[in-house]
Amino acid sequence: MHMFALKKTHVFLILSCMLLASYTSAGTDVKLKKNVDGSVIYPRTNTHYSLYLLNKQNISEFNHGRTPTLNEIKAWNKDVMPDGEGLPVGEGSVEQGDELYSAQCLSCHGDFGAGGSGYPTLTGGQGSLKNQLLQAGDEPPMRTIGSYWPYASTLFWYIQSSMPFNNPKSLSNNETYALVAYLLSVNEIKIDGIELDDEYVLTKEKFLKIKMPNVDGFYPVSPNRSNLKEQRPPLAQGTRCMKNCKTQEIIFIKNEITGFDPKITSKKDLPKIKKQDNDEAIKEIYSQSCAACHSNDALGAPVVGDLEQWSEVIKKGVKQVYTNAIVGINAMPPRGGNMDLSDKDLENLIDYMIKVSK
Amino acid sequence: MTKKQKDPDIQATNRRDFFKKTAFLSASLIASSSILAPVKITASSLDDAAIMEQAPWGTKLGDLVDKNHYGLPSPYEHNNVRRVHDLLSSGDRYATVSMSPLHQQEGIITPNGLFFNRSHSGTTQVDPHKFRLMIHGLLDKPLVLTLEELKRYPSESRIHFIECPANGSTGWRGPQFDNLQFVKGMMSSAEWTGVPLKVVLKELGLHKEAKWMLAEGSDNSEMARTIPIEKVLDDAMLVWGQNGEPLRAEQGYPVRLLLPGWEGNLNVKWLKRLEFSSKPWHSKEETSKYTMLQKNGKAINYFWPMEVNSIITSPCPEVPWSSLKKGDTVEITGLAWSGRGTIKTVDISLDGGKNWIEASLKGLVLPKSWTRFSYIIKWDAKEKMLLSRAIDDSGHVQPSIDKLIENVGVEGIYHRNPIVGWFVSNKGEVKNAHVRS
Repeated sequence: MHMFALKKTHVFLILSCMLLASYTSAGTDVKLKKNVDGSVIYPRTNTHYSLYLLNKQNISEFNHGRTPTLNEIKAWNKDVMPDGEGLPVGEGSVEQGDELYSAQCLSCHGDFGAGGSGYPTLTGGQGSLKNQLLQAGDEPPMRTIGSYWPYASTLFWYIQSSMPFNNPKSLSNNETYALVAYLLSVNEIKIDGIELDDEYVLTKEKFLKIKMPNVDGFYPVSPNRSNLKEQRPPLAQGTRCMKNCKTQEIIFIKNEITGFDPKITSKKDLPKIKKQDNDEAIKEIYSQSCAACHSNDALGAPVVGDLEQWSEVIKKGVKQVYTNAIVGINAMPPRGGNMDLSDKDLENLIDYMIKVSK
Repeated sequence: MTKKQKDPDIQATNRRDFFKKTAFLSASLIASSSILAPVKITASSLDDAAIMEQAPWGTKLGDLVDKNHYGLPSPYEHNNVRRVHDLLSSGDRYATVSMSPLHQQEGIITPNGLFFNRSHSGTTQVDPHKFRLMIHGLLDKPLVLTLEELKRYPSESRIHFIECPANGSTGWRGPQFDNLQFVKGMMSSAEWTGVPLKVVLKELGLHKEAKWMLAEGSDNSEMARTIPIEKVLDDAMLVWGQNGEPLRAEQGYPVRLLLPGWEGNLNVKWLKRLEFSSKPWHSKEETSKYTMLQKNGKAINYFWPMEVNSIITSPCPEVPWSSLKKGDTVEITGLAWSGRGTIKTVDISLDGGKNWIEASLKGLVLPKSWTRFSYIIKWDAKEKMLLSRAIDDSGHVQPSIDKLIENVGVEGIYHRNPIVGWFVSNKGEVKNAHVRS
């Protein structure tokens, strides 16, 4: 289906490369097949995918790799599905969960899952999902485990594979059961009509009976997809008005947000040397202007890295060393022969050479 | 230090010498003097110092050829970088996003160092020798591949954008950020190299009941997403190359899943495991996070493709027209893209959406890829409200902000693709602004 007329340029394209025409979507009348997401399926032939050419040899047997062992599959297949597939055996009480939570979760997720420090809030929000934050002061919807998550399986799987944030995959099955029990209890979720008090022990059997409050809060995706029509149409379809369309009001930024890191600028200048880069810069100058003599003792200069030699040098007092570098000493010419070096550069260089010799 | 050109006081003595010495003079100067007669040219205030003075880089040796074993941009481009904002993070800079500087990108490829970076627990560094990809579940022949074995499959290269579904979320309640980088920088584009997943699956005996595939990352967060088999068998790829080099760690080195046109987070990085099942998994990211809450309190989950979209990248707040003189010719250019297909048309409005003109598409026009559009105007030093509107070959037309909000409300920060643009003042300054009825 095409909404717009064939354009001259496209006709030319079709005539001049007949082969490609059936793969160019723009401007051709080829009927486009669509996928479940509403996107166009571009046919893949032996020679082409869309405008891309393919190897024409049509070889499809590769026999790369090997069969995983059952232990290997077991080691990696840790996911848990809503019907309980993959859920391990184990048990844990609300009280044990509370202790684990206080020790390992509270610093990010706050007391009783109330949130804080920018990390997700885990409790509350039931009944808030129809709220719309249209203007300042409106109550927004709160998406928490209790108000939003449709399945407890997700909770078990996610906690065990990805939490605590800085030490994931460290919780045992029993510890994970305990944490799930605690999080359900602080969300006031009952299992089989029973409240989860401190003594409540969550087991696999009880887990399979959990029904999360928002289980029906999502639009279903047909699992068998018997109807291959677009399952996810665009959220909003625009219209192509070209002339004298509805006039619009221009809205400007009310409260501009700043605080970008780094600061927004398009300046094309040389970077300023930051303090922490100073050492790097000095090192660079050292290797260009000093290392030729100071990196080995062939020329009699104190060798950088040789603590003994530099201890001897520093005995004179560091100020005297600075002066010597400026005016020259023994075989060393003034400023080491590099008159571009300022007094400050020389001081920094000497400090650097002393530092790395310690 | 800059040195003056030698012989600023040019005294041509014969014709040959004259041509040699005046080669750098402007055509108008030459035209106004007699070419054949000897002529003396004196310094003029019209002379450009950048031409008249010896450039320092022309009078001394450059950097050693092997100064950087991995090349770097010009030091003058040090501000062309990704940026972050603490508003977009979850309390730290591990689970956050860095925005790509779209205003300084050319063509339809993002340089690897500027590719936006979204991670749920930091950029992980996978040892390629210990990389394993396991494919199992509802198929006859489960498989384990090393990186070397995976790369033995015949490779294909494709240009596709990757966009976080939250791209643009920073502005749709009202304009917030006065720059392109934070308005649309949660996307980038690359030429990806790898193998179509269906080529790998062809000899594994996929069962008929296998309707869903779980893709799981090996990182700290074990990013896991469920993908319908129709996408797997259409254009999904296992990719190891990004713009001619191995994937960057930030993009999932050594292997990521590529689902052209779909939400960035589905393109699982640091890939570890693919499992096939008859049921979807309902992972944390597809239940608690990447979902769209609607006005009625219900949410869309398993929302996959990125909608048709477009943005003018020049001008923009970072690339204003303030240096233009009235009457100058200037190009309005930008990017259009769609996860549902190929860009077919881009329209431009200069008057805030009252009237529209079809722009030209330029360069390569590829499926599920950034597409450049272009429209040239003469700058008249009058206020403008620039907008762009893209249409793809699936028939999807980019909607207005009003239309999108009418349909899905203001909650749900994902898949915000309304028509947005820039206000240009009569001085050529550019500001982020929305048009609403």
